[in-house]
This record gives sequence, structure tokens and C-alpha cells, in this order.
Amino acid sequence: MIIEVKKLKKTYGGKIPTHVLKGVSFEVEKGEFIALMGRSGSGKSTLLHQLGLLDSPSSGDIIIDGISTINFTQKQKNEFRLKKLGYVFQAYALLPELTALESIYLPLMLSGVPKSQYIKKALEMLEKVGLSERRNHLPKEMSGGEQQRVAIARALINEPAILFADEPTANLDSESSETVLKLFKKLNKEIGQTIIMVTHEPDDKKYVDRVIWLKDGTITSEGI
Amino acid sequence: MNIKAAFFLAYKTIVRGSKGTLIMTILIMTLAYVNLIFISSIFGGIVEAINEQYIDNLYGNIVITPASDKIYIENKQTSSINHIPGIVAISAHYINDALISYDEYKDGNNIQQGKWKIKSVNVEDEKRVTAISDSIISGEYLDDKDRDKIVIGKEIAGGQGGDLDYLSLGGVLVGDTIDVKFSNNIKRTYTIKGIFSTKNNQADQMAFITRKEMESILGVHNLSSEIIIKTIEKGQEEQYIESIRQSGFYDEEIRTWEQLTGFTSSASKSFMMISIILGAIGTIVAGITIFIIIFVSIVNKRRQIGILKAIGMEESTIILSFIMQAVFYAIIGILLGISIILFVIRPFFVDNPLDFPVGWVSLKITFDIIKISNISLMIAALIGGFIPAFRGTRESILDAIWG
Ligand SMILES: Nc1ncnc2c1ncn2[C@@H]1O[C@H](COP(=O)(O)OP(=O)(O)O)[C@@H](O)[C@H]1O
Ligand SMILES: [Mg+2]
Repeated sequence: MIIEVKKLKKTYGGKIPTHVLKGVSFEVEKGEFIALMGRSGSGKSTLLHQLGLLDSPSSGDIIIDGISTINFTQKQKNEFRLKKLGYVFQAYALLPELTALESIYLPLMLSGVPKSQYIKKALEMLEKVGLSERRNHLPKEMSGGEQQRVAIARALINEPAILFADEPTANLDSESSETVLKLFKKLNKEIGQTIIMVTHEPDDKKYVDRVIWLKDGTITSEGI
Repeated sequence: MNIKAAFFLAYKTIVRGSKGTLIMTILIMTLAYVNLIFISSIFGGIVEAINEQYIDNLYGNIVITPASDKIYIENKQTSSINHIPGIVAISAHYINDALISYDEYKDGNNIQQGKWKIKSVNVEDEKRVTAISDSIISGEYLDDKDRDKIVIGKEIAGGQGGDLDYLSLGGVLVGDTIDVKFSNNIKRTYTIKGIFSTKNNQADQMAFITRKEMESILGVHNLSSEIIIKTIEKGQEEQYIESIRQSGFYDEEIRTWEQLTGFTSSASKSFMMISIILGAIGTIVAGITIFIIIFVSIVNKRRQIGILKAIGMEESTIILSFIMQAVFYAIIGILLGISIILFVIRPFFVDNPLDFPVGWVSLKITFDIIKISNISLMIAALIGGFIPAFRGTRESILDAIWG
């Protein structure tokens, strides 16, 4: 089991507290490709942020790779994110001044990998996402789909245990969306990458192993 | 903190970021730096010019005056001072407060007169210490053989545009004769041999006669009222005082030009103050400029910064990266600024010094000014880079990405 979520709650403070996640429990096996689905406002992004240690849950626990993360300090979270987790966001996630290749090897540089190795790995990763010929292109010289594939390659370069993606195709045309989703599928099949993806496209079901449905902060069903 | 990654990001941002912004930033840094150096050096130049006037025309570098209970310096061993290494020349003066009068029509009806200091000189010695003989604007300087000749400053002569014209003799010319009553009531008549004009009105209120002439009037021999000494360089005078004392001037007062120019040093202090205030304003402007540039850059990159943090980049690395950018702007500004100062502005002012009332003013660029300006601009860059970077990266990842 790669993730074990136990009675996870998230309440946002304020005058009227918003209970966004009302006790969510589920498990994810290593190598699974999971879609989080549900209506807008159902808490999908919030759940993903908790799983990805980008936020602090109100109660419950998230056990990743056997490690309870609920009491992590900020530094431990940083470390964990860099080494174990990868993220793909909706769009505009690349630094405008970095080429595709540079964006991809940045996390390796942060991990202290020597230059010869990180360039080699980043080139392999570019190959995997099918952008070898775009290696020296800046974001402004690439299409939205290509940028998103660079973001995916960057998310995967540190070989994260889990890849999180929050509506990664929301800003893409249908053709680019398909390329990105097919890429996820391929990575899932070929390297056994565990992926948890938020989507509101019912059609995306065909790419994933399992769908977790959210409604008003609770899981209503799991399965296809 | 990952220094390598911070440098990598800073480098790429500078190289691949907007060229227009880069050029503007560097331009502003350069101007801020030139401004810092220029202001300090021009004030330094003014102070220097004032000091030079005192040294060249009044005091030399060091002045020996009689012991407090004596009228004259009695030591005859002035040659022993000459042998102290670093001492270039000495000149001994008698000084007498004399009443000088000028009766233009020789009828006793329209006499202009006043009290001025008359100093006596040994011409060759004097020429080696002061520059008065080079400041003659009419006629010529004394010769050791002269007995009935006098050289006077323009403030005594009058009619030369001096500050104290109303106290002058009203416009005497070379060749005119004037009457002098010395403090011992001896009267003599002198022909004006030369009129000099320096840029120090204290100097221009002096008159000079030869040493032989003065000794005959005062009835003394081999004494002096002051000995002025020229040293090899300015600013190192203190080191000679002890050697001078050891050479036989045990009871005399020995002071440097700096100690004697009370007014100037207070003027210097005022100029220093102004220069520090203007410099501080310049530095703050430079700091704010960097602040704005980094701030805008951070606002534009809000999302990307959130994402860098999401992929595990530490805040300190991101902050360091922005500080490196700021420091880069400052360093380039300093390098360009120093080139402009040394290769454009300074040569220009050396060729075209400014004609100030206090003297010819050029830029006085010292190592200290450069050092302080460099440090100021660097600190401005560090603070101007740090504050927006610190504030910008403190935002939570989710706020940055979605906010
Ligand atoms: N920072 C926050 N403060 C208060 N309420 C929030 C915050 N973030 C999200 N919410 C609320 O939580 C609910 C779920 O949001 P979200 O997880 O973004 O939904 P989804 O991604 O499924 O559309 C929404 O009602 C939203 O208004
Ligand atoms: Mg959402």
C-alpha cells in the first residue's frame, strides 16, 4: 500500500467554518492510476492538497509508504515533497526563463545530483514524454500540451512514489488532453507510476484503474 | 538552502529575462553609483581645494610658532629641520602688525589706511614653501636685495575684486608708494613691487618685505616669528612633529595646517555632512529601485514560486536566488559606474576643473569613497532584494498557486 488515508478531515476557519473534507478514508496500492471525481466544489482539490502535503489536514492521518505524515514539520514536508512526491498543476507551472530541459532537471539539481547525471536523466525523461526535439525551447515557444508534458517530466524526474495531478488537462484542447492522458497511462503501465489525478471529465475514466467519487467532502463510491 | 540552484535560477532569469528591464535596472544602478561617488568626490574636491589654499599660501604643512612666553623663535638651527627625511623646504618669517597708508594726492587729505600683517621672507626659501610668488597678478615678486619694495595681497591693494575691498587701500597699483608704520612706531615708505591674488582671502590680506629689511626695522637678528614647513605629502604631518621637536624646538608650538584651519575643518565637516546625507538618499533610492524590480519580478512569478516550493525548493533557496540577482545588478552598476567615473568624469574634471571661490575644484576620488560607495550600494541591493523576496516566498504554496 502506498497511501493510506484515515478519517481525513479538513475544515477551513473563518466566521463560518467550512467543513470541506468530512472524514475521508481510502487506500491506494502501489502502481494504481486513480481518478478523483466529483462536482465542482466537492473537495477534490482540497483532498489532493492534503495528500500531496501542500496543506495541513484538521484531523485524521495520511500514511505514505508506511510513514505517518500528520505530525511532519514544514522542513520534513519539503524534504518529502522533493524526494517522494510529484505534482502537475493546471497550467502556467513552468518558469518562463527555463528551457524544457532545464525545468526538468531542476528538482535533481535541488536534490544534489551531479550535473552529468541530471542532464542524462532529464534527456531520458524528455524522451519518455516525447519532447526530445523541444529540449531547448522556452515555455513561450511550446504549446500548452507540450508545456504540460514538460511539467509531467519535471514531476517525475525524482522518481516520486506518487504523482499528483489536479485537472492537468483543464486548459488544453481535446487533442493535447488526449496526449497528456495517454502519457499518464503509458507511464503508469511502463514504469508502474502511481498516479492520483483530479478530473471532472467523465470520459477520463477510460484511462484509470479506479475512480474515487467525492460529494460534499465524503466518498460516495469507489470503482469504475 | 541550495546555492547552486539559487545561482542557476538567478543566472537564467538575468540572461533570459526581459532585456529592457535588465538594461533599465543596470542603468539605474550605474547612475545611483556614479551619483554616490560624484557627490562625495566633489565635496572632497571642495574641501581639498580649501585646504590646498591654506597650505600653499599660509601655513605650508607644519607651522612652528614661539614658545608661549616668547615673542620670537630663538632657535637658529633651522637647517637641522631641513635634514629630516620627508621635509622638502622651510621658510622663516618675521610677522609684524603694521599700519599701511596710501595718500594718493600726497596732500594729506584723502589717506586710505588699515592694519595688516607684514611678513618678511627669504625669497628663495619662501618660493620653495608657498605659492604666493606664483600668484602675482601685477608687477613681480620680491628679490632678496630689495629694501624699499613691498609685495601686497589684493585685499590690501583693493580694486581687484576682493571680498574686503571696502577695507583696502582703494586700488593702489604697482609703482605706487605706500607708508608703513610698524608696531615699534618705525615708519618707512615702500614702492609696491607686486600684487598677488590667491583664492584664500586670509592670504590676500598679507604683505611681504625682505628679511634683511625687517631685521633692520625690528633691530633683531636670526630670529623668527614663525617657521613654515613643507613636507613631501599632505596628511602625514603628525609623524614629523616629534622629529622637529627633537631637532631643537623643545618649547615652541608645532602645529599642522589642519590644527590651524579651524574654520576649514568645520566647513569640511559641514561638507562631509551634506555629502553623507546626499549619499544616504542616493543609496536609499538605489535600494528602493532594486526593491521595486525584485518586487515586480516576484509578483509576476507568484505562481511559479508556489510551484517551485511545491516541488521541494526551500524558501531560502528562492530568496537567495533573488538576492543574487540584486547583487548582480549592483555589481554591474558598480563596474560600469566606476568605469564612467574613472574614464569619463574624472578626466573631464581634471581637464576642466571648476572655478570655485575656494579654488580650482576637481573630483577627489579616494579609495575610501569608492569603498564606502561599494559597500552602500551592496547593502542597498541586499536589503532591496531580500525584503520583497522574503515577503513573496512566505506566501503559502496554495495561495501562491491558486490565489
Ligand atoms: N482556503 C479556503 N478557505 C475556505 N474555503 C475553501 C478554501 N479552499 C476551498 N474552499 C472551499 O472548499 C470547497 C471545496 O473546494 P475544492 O476542494 O477546491 O473543490 P473542487 O476542487 O472539488 O472543485 C469549496 O466549497 C471551496 O469554496
Ligand atoms: Mg479543484
